[in-house]
Amino acid sequence: MYPFLEALVAALILIGAFFLLVGALGLARLPDMMRRLHGPTKATTLGIGALLIASMVYFAAVRGSFSIHELLITLFLFLTAPVSAHMLAKAHILRARAERDRLPATGTATGWATLDSGHPKGE
Amino acid sequence: MTLLFVILIPLLGALIPPLVIRSGRNACAAATGSVTLLALALLMSHAPAVFSGEVPKAGVEWVPALGLSLSVFADGLGFFFAAMILAIGLLVIVYARFYLSREEPMGRFFAYLLLFQGAMVGVVLSDNIIALLVFWELTSLTSFLLIGFWTKRADARQGARMALVVTGGGGLALIAGLLLVAQAAGSYQLTEILVRGEMVRASPLYLPALLLVLVGAFTKSAQFPFHFWLPHAMAAPTPVSAYLHSATMVKAGVFLLARLWPVLAGTDPWFLIVAPVGLATMLLGAVIALFKDDLKAVLAYSTVSHLGLMTMLLGFGTPMAAVAAVFHIINHATFKAALFMVTGTLALLASASMAGVPLFNGFLSKEMMLEEAAHTAYLGLDFLFPVLASVAAVFSVAYSARFAIGTFLGPVRHDYPHHPHDPPLGLWLPVAVLVVPVIAIGLFPAAVAGPLVALTASAVIGGPLPDYHLALWHGLTPALFMSLLAFAGGAALILAFRRVDGVRARLPPLDAKAMFEAASGGLVVACRRIVAALHDGALSRYMGVTVATLVAVGGYGFWSATHAAGARPLLPVTAPALTAFLALVLASGAVLLFHGERLTALILTGVVGVVVALAFLQFSAPDLALTQISVDVVTTILMLLALNLLPKTTPREGSRAVRWRDGAIAGLAGLGAAGLAYAVMTRNGTSISDFYLAQSKPGGGGTNVVNVILVDFRGYDTFAEIIVLGIAALAIYALLDPALKGAAVRRIKAMLPRDEAKDAHPLILVVATRVLLPLSLVVGAYIFLRGHNAPGGGFIAGLVVAIALIMQYIASGYGWAAERMKLDAQSLIGAGVAIAGLTGLAAFAFGRPFLTSTFGYLHWPLVGEFELASAMAFDLGVFLTVVGVMVLSLAQLSRVAHRVDPSPESRAPMDVPLEGAASGAAGKED
Repeated sequence: MYPFLEALVAALILIGAFFLLVGALGLARLPDMMRRLHGPTKATTLGIGALLIASMVYFAAVRGSFSIHELLITLFLFLTAPVSAHMLAKAHILRARAERDRLPATGTATGWATLDSGHPKGE
Repeated sequence: MTLLFVILIPLLGALIPPLVIRSGRNACAAATGSVTLLALALLMSHAPAVFSGEVPKAGVEWVPALGLSLSVFADGLGFFFAAMILAIGLLVIVYARFYLSREEPMGRFFAYLLLFQGAMVGVVLSDNIIALLVFWELTSLTSFLLIGFWTKRADARQGARMALVVTGGGGLALIAGLLLVAQAAGSYQLTEILVRGEMVRASPLYLPALLLVLVGAFTKSAQFPFHFWLPHAMAAPTPVSAYLHSATMVKAGVFLLARLWPVLAGTDPWFLIVAPVGLATMLLGAVIALFKDDLKAVLAYSTVSHLGLMTMLLGFGTPMAAVAAVFHIINHATFKAALFMVTGTLALLASASMAGVPLFNGFLSKEMMLEEAAHTAYLGLDFLFPVLASVAAVFSVAYSARFAIGTFLGPVRHDYPHHPHDPPLGLWLPVAVLVVPVIAIGLFPAAVAGPLVALTASAVIGGPLPDYHLALWHGLTPALFMSLLAFAGGAALILAFRRVDGVRARLPPLDAKAMFEAASGGLVVACRRIVAALHDGALSRYMGVTVATLVAVGGYGFWSATHAAGARPLLPVTAPALTAFLALVLASGAVLLFHGERLTALILTGVVGVVVALAFLQFSAPDLALTQISVDVVTTILMLLALNLLPKTTPREGSRAVRWRDGAIAGLAGLGAAGLAYAVMTRNGTSISDFYLAQSKPGGGGTNVVNVILVDFRGYDTFAEIIVLGIAALAIYALLDPALKGAAVRRIKAMLPRDEAKDAHPLILVVATRVLLPLSLVVGAYIFLRGHNAPGGGFIAGLVVAIALIMQYIASGYGWAAERMKLDAQSLIGAGVAIAGLTGLAAFAFGRPFLTSTFGYLHWPLVGEFELASAMAFDLGVFLTVVGVMVLSLAQLSRVAHRVDPSPESRAPMDVPLEGAASGAAGKED
């Protein structure tokens, strides 16, 4: 195995581990739900993605079998993580009544989508 | 082979009348008549052979391994009965054409009649006793339809139900009885059983078999104490009564007694049971018949009485009595059928025969009966049978006279709602045809009925015939004096009828119908109590009863056998295995603690599912892991949707003691299951899996053993399973339907949170699911196609595709998705089961058994070598069924939620319209 590839795999693993740690710490330490959400959805996704790419490079180099499985898994993680984060945030806005007042203004005529249907009343 | 068609023609011909009725009632009756005529002609083509002493046989194997074949034989008895059923059936069809009014559904009537006719012919011609039993129950079912033909009349419905309960229930006893007979004789073929009478009578099974068979025969032939159903079956249209009570239904019991006469008769139990039951029935029927004012009731009880006569004669167990019984069956069939279709003076002749007046056929057989009764001693009482038989004869003369006088010779009445008129040709012709033998046999018995009686009686006896003479004059025998006595007594009874009737009126009334209703009502109440105690709607009780039974049976099995520890060493405990194990234990324990919070419990069960999938992967079962994961996803979605309609928490139920008891049952069951798993996993036993592993490629053409087992080796199981799956989905659909309306909706609505998200279908979710749909479909197709050789197959592919479709429902709402789903789920289920079934049937075309698979290899350009197995078509059926089942149940659940919360559904795929798009047209762009 080329030293360059070895270094690349090692770097990817380290980057992945770092982001996983950051994500886990964020989930544990950040003060409220909205902020905690960033940990598992952003940092962790990135970390897992780096680990998967590392696996892909390693097996392509050692076994000589190139497969895009890991790439696909990464792709799907990047596709589903924001969706679940969005849905979790919506559920939080709906359930935590105290925080509704602290939501920043949307800057348009209609309010936050979860709370305001955008239609005038009575429709 | 033509003999088999004698049964099949009426059964299949039953399809014709409902179709032909559109061409008119005459065409319908003609078509029905031709069906019966064809069957009769086929039967008659065997007549020369039967009369020359041969026994024509025919049959096809059905399930040879179970001794089940559809075989028929026509000895004298079967031939005679079949001919009688078909010939009188023909007359009944003619009569019914003119009897039924224009408004009545004649096509349906004739269809029922032909079905019944086919079943009856099947009973009398069957050689295999299992086939006989099937036909026997068929006659109960079809006669139920016939008796209850006038569905609007309460008495018709009740009479039909009573007949079905009594004769169908007796049929169950008969099944047990005949199986015991077959066990004792060592054969399921009647022809063989009939020559092994000695063997059966010597067997310890003889007595239980006899009792069970007699229950079957007595219920069918309305013998005391089961006689009560027959008069209530009179609510049927008259042609049905004529048919059922003269030649067919009720004669089936007598036929059975005659059929099994060589096997079962001639013993003490036979005589001690059958003869007095027949005598009691004969006497009781005759007495009740005298006091009935309704014409049909008189005839019904006279039928009961005559059936008793035949039963008694067969019960005597002597060949001579058997001959008399056969002779009376012939005579009764002719005069009773004529009496039911009663018209004018012709019926006078028939009732004279019923009374046993000389020069009519009824006289001859009654004379023979009295002769037999005269020298029969019961338990040392040599006067019992002669005296009681004479009394019965007295009453039978009296009711016949009352019937004739009351109907035809009484004063003319003018207060009828309609003016009585002479009946059309079609109504009196069948009667005339029947009265001819009544007189002909009466005058020239030996010449007219001699060969037939000899033929039938020798078949009943199964040996040489006794020396007998069918003649008018036998000299000054005891029977002649008893006959004379009967006429004198009968005349006296009629003259003193008012006084006798007055005595009867003072006796306490016995209403058999009320007693039957009370008995069946009590039974229903008792059953309800048991069911209510066992099935009180609490799932914990069902589970408790089931699991406790399993624990008890398993425990008994464990302690009543010897066992040793397994020899196979345990695998080392690795760190990942330990982690998974701890996760499993923690998740299971947490479910116990948090089961009150339903959402938490659901998430925890999801953890269990994932760990199980990992275990499958660890032990090289990727197929099962894949299945486990996809099933887990689907069930989680299903449960989430269901939770939406349920309270958020489970209330604490039951006292502390109940919980401890349930906990003990669950703990014991868990320990038992663990012990079982441990015992199996520490052994190196050989199992059938070695065969599957070895045969998968050469036998099934696939290297994925799991899939080959599912679609090939155990295809039958899978076929039945997808049918069950489809039924379950339809049941879910039906059970959830009430939740869409009425009080259920209000209740669910009260549980829903007040605060609902406004933007229920957000843009990001809609776009993601829409992007994933084609991708998921491709993955589904890929998993399906590779299933035969690599992890995958129709079941997993179906789950994947179903999840992709359900995601569309979740993302854009039920209304939007349902509008775009061009295939409805019910058709998918139907198509799936049909495709799987047709694949199985295709094997027949190549002369192979159901679901035999085949495979071959094709070389496709670009794709390479490609395997094409018939199992793939079967797998396609599985796939379609799974997709249909999942979509149907989940869509129905979300439909309930949608219906409960009828907020205006957006026409667009998402709730917040995109900028720049007109809000109304947004949906059409997608």
